[in-house]
Amino acid sequence: MSRSFSYSLKRYRWKEFWLFIIPFVILLLEMTQLLLARLIHSGTLNGTSFLNVHNLPTIQGLIPVIGLIVALFAVNIFLSIFFPKADQMLLPLTGLLSGIGVLMALRTGPALSPPDPTQGTRQLMWVILGLIAFLITMIILKNMRWLKQYRYILLAIGLLLLLASVVNAFRVKNFNSPTHDQLNFGPFSLQPSEFLKIILVIVFAGFLSERRDFFGNNDVHIGFLRIPVPRVNELGPLAIMLGISLLIFLGIRELGLALLIYGIFLCMIYLGSGRITYVVGGLLIFAASSFLGYTVLSHFHIFSYVGERFQTITFNVVDWQHWTAADELFAENAGLQIVQGLIALSSGGILGAGLGLGHPTFVPVVQSDMIFTGLGEELGLAGLFGIIAIYMLILYRGYRIAVETADPFNQLLAAGLTSIFAIETLIIIAANMNFFPLTGLPLPFLSYGGSSLLANYIIIGILMRISHDTALAKEREGSE
Amino acid sequence: MPQLDVFLLILRLLFIVLLYLFLLQVIIAITRDLRAKAPVIKGRLIVIDKGPSTFLNVGDEFLLRPETTIGRGPMNTIRLSDGFISTEHARLRNRNGKWYVQNIKSTYGTYVNRQPASDEILVNPGDIINLGPIAFKLVQ
Repeated sequence: MSRSFSYSLKRYRWKEFWLFIIPFVILLLEMTQLLLARLIHSGTLNGTSFLNVHNLPTIQGLIPVIGLIVALFAVNIFLSIFFPKADQMLLPLTGLLSGIGVLMALRTGPALSPPDPTQGTRQLMWVILGLIAFLITMIILKNMRWLKQYRYILLAIGLLLLLASVVNAFRVKNFNSPTHDQLNFGPFSLQPSEFLKIILVIVFAGFLSERRDFFGNNDVHIGFLRIPVPRVNELGPLAIMLGISLLIFLGIRELGLALLIYGIFLCMIYLGSGRITYVVGGLLIFAASSFLGYTVLSHFHIFSYVGERFQTITFNVVDWQHWTAADELFAENAGLQIVQGLIALSSGGILGAGLGLGHPTFVPVVQSDMIFTGLGEELGLAGLFGIIAIYMLILYRGYRIAVETADPFNQLLAAGLTSIFAIETLIIIAANMNFFPLTGLPLPFLSYGGSSLLANYIIIGILMRISHDTALAKEREGSE
Repeated sequence: MPQLDVFLLILRLLFIVLLYLFLLQVIIAITRDLRAKAPVIKGRLIVIDKGPSTFLNVGDEFLLRPETTIGRGPMNTIRLSDGFISTEHARLRNRNGKWYVQNIKSTYGTYVNRQPASDEILVNPGDIINLGPIAFKLVQ
């Protein structure tokens, strides 16, 4: 009995447990701060009032955060029993991010117009569902080959779901609205494209791991330049992928998703072939076709929002004292989101206003696309740097898992899935800071939205399963 | 109890401090992990004949990991961007302290002391491994 107890203590994921402590404290403190801020808003307290037992917020207010902590701790124990060798750093990192996401949803929900008081509770529910999806993914993937074998069936399912939302888009017939990517199942609405991106990475990984020799042995020499000429059997899937991503750009959702899928594709082509020329060529093709598409479309006055988004980048917000009437009109209409976002970022300063004490809801759609500006206003530059560092550590762990595993399919899969996080985070943060046209991509784990959370936790599940399998395989090799 | 303003300022500072402490904790955990996993160097490959290669020089050394793949692709442990090396050229494995080499998919072949290594072949220290026209010596 005592032996099995000490054995299970040895298996326990202590590193993960210790890494959970500070995030738990952070979440509890921030929830307290949010409750105090609510009391200030309701007029019960003001800045100069003294805190005492009677005017402190009640302990019940902490329930959402305590619920999240219990859920994460339960996952920690479950993993210790069934997957003790899986990576121990990913879950504390993603747990803290999704905790901050829940707090922001709790914070912005009641302040939105129209107010959405249940937004925080729903986000919490999605995080817990995400953790369940994460565990299910880890359990189901007994054999990673399974993903490779059935990848085309997965792709068919994904495209079918996407087709349904295309049909939906044509039914609604509002081509100037940025997003048509939604399927409603009773009270739930899902964005199929969030899951399609995972399926596409699986398909690319399967394709590239089987045909790695196709790439690179077919060069044309011009002087000292080596130009790789893709063969038809490489070019075929290449063209299909380009077609799909442009189709999505045109039909379903805006630039963001097309950019994401194409970015993942280029990343994986590079990982599979090791040739930077493919990436450069791919980017040139993308730029040329986007430009062509953009000119044609703006001629027919559809997709007008895309043009406005590009216009926003060149808009000079800092020089507001010399704005003309046209500039002001732009800042209050087409450019409103970005201009307000930049104002929010700048008013946050270095330390931020403190959670619940800023005015992030002046920024339209702050709860999902623009959450980075909301975080910037309330947590400050220091907080934003911390959050970016968390993303970098998640990416590091993901690529590390890819490097350590021996199987080419698993390597490409892990690296590709991690690249999803990298590209999404890069594009949406750049867009929030007005370096890049705003696109409808969520900030992983922080943005409000169920599909994105579910999909991201499924990705983490696949990554951790790969790391568990790798560790087991190494152990087996060592004992041989 | 302090005034609310002071309390909120403390909370804000505490958040930043804790966030960075957490990052530090993760980084420490990562460095410990790396140190524990750092491979014990058990062998090296030394170039003794660079053949027509412009990329390699005689005397170049490559450290071997217990499972090492050599090739031009980015997923290899040892990346040699040379025209005579294929994307995935050869694999070296260490089992019970002995090195085994096997050709993966190469145009110019893998040889141990001029014997083709289409199946796994034992390599002793001092043996010559040829990847196409390039010759390496295994040193332990």
